[in-house]
Amino acid sequence: MMSLVDGLLGPEEPEVGCDDCFTDLDRYVELELAGEDPDAHLPGLRAHLAGCLACREEHDSLKALVAGEDG
Amino acid sequence: MGALPAATLPVVDPVMDPESRAWVAALTGEGGDREAALDRLHALLLRAARFELGRRRGQLAGLSAAERQDLATQAADDAMMGVLARLDDFRGLSRFTTWAYKFALLEAATKARRMAWRDRELPRPPEDWVALADPDGRPEAAAEHAELLATLRAAVAEVLTPQQREVLLTVVAGRVPLDVLAERRGTTRGALYKTIHDARRKLRAHLAQKGLLAGEEVSR
Repeated sequence: MMSLVDGLLGPEEPEVGCDDCFTDLDRYVELELAGEDPDAHLPGLRAHLAGCLACREEHDSLKALVAGEDG
Repeated sequence: MGALPAATLPVVDPVMDPESRAWVAALTGEGGDREAALDRLHALLLRAARFELGRRRGQLAGLSAAERQDLATQAADDAMMGVLARLDDFRGLSRFTTWAYKFALLEAATKARRMAWRDRELPRPPEDWVALADPDGRPEAAAEHAELLATLRAAVAEVLTPQQREVLLTVVAGRVPLDVLAERRGTTRGALYKTIHDARRKLRAHLAQKGLLAGEEVSR
């Protein structure tokens, strides 16, 4: 769980917003599962996931769901 | 002749995989094929919604099986509307099923968070939120951590607007889900997160000016 100080300060790097995160989340997850570096293709999304609990939970779910189907 | 600026180059979509292409063709077609595709899409979205609600079983412990099923169906219905409304946005950068799943996961997660808070008053941001901070485990860092917390407490009180302060503390210290706060305030997750983001930038800039954030740009 993120510490209170980390939660108050958020990610240090530039980040996208929730809408852009949603737009690119599917591609991000597939790049991750393919073993590629998604941040190289979609800069700012990893930082957003670090700072936004709601988007992070949905990322984790999508990754688990797709990984389960591929596995 | 020099190269064209990147912005004027045509966007070339990658080759869409055959299965995704078939989904789009069926959903944009007519007649029985489209009806069958809509049924398959709804089943796929319902599976994803159930998957999400299954991950949130603890949060939804007060719901009956029928209520959980109803919530999954509502999420799948709303996700279906989202998928069809934004079908033109799908460019094949991922598989269609992965793209569609995210709509169902978003709807199910949002509904579950709101359901879990439906009869609860939102807590006021805790007055003594600094007391919630985890102590730094390293003895040599204790004084540094205390200084950081004291400066952060002052910055939250003095640098942030009342709106930024309330939203940031309610979500981070009060642990109220962003979607729940957004619903109560009649706004969106994205708009509230922007408020949080702006507040965090202010706090970081303030701490950097005080020399308390290594590597942070003071000018931000």
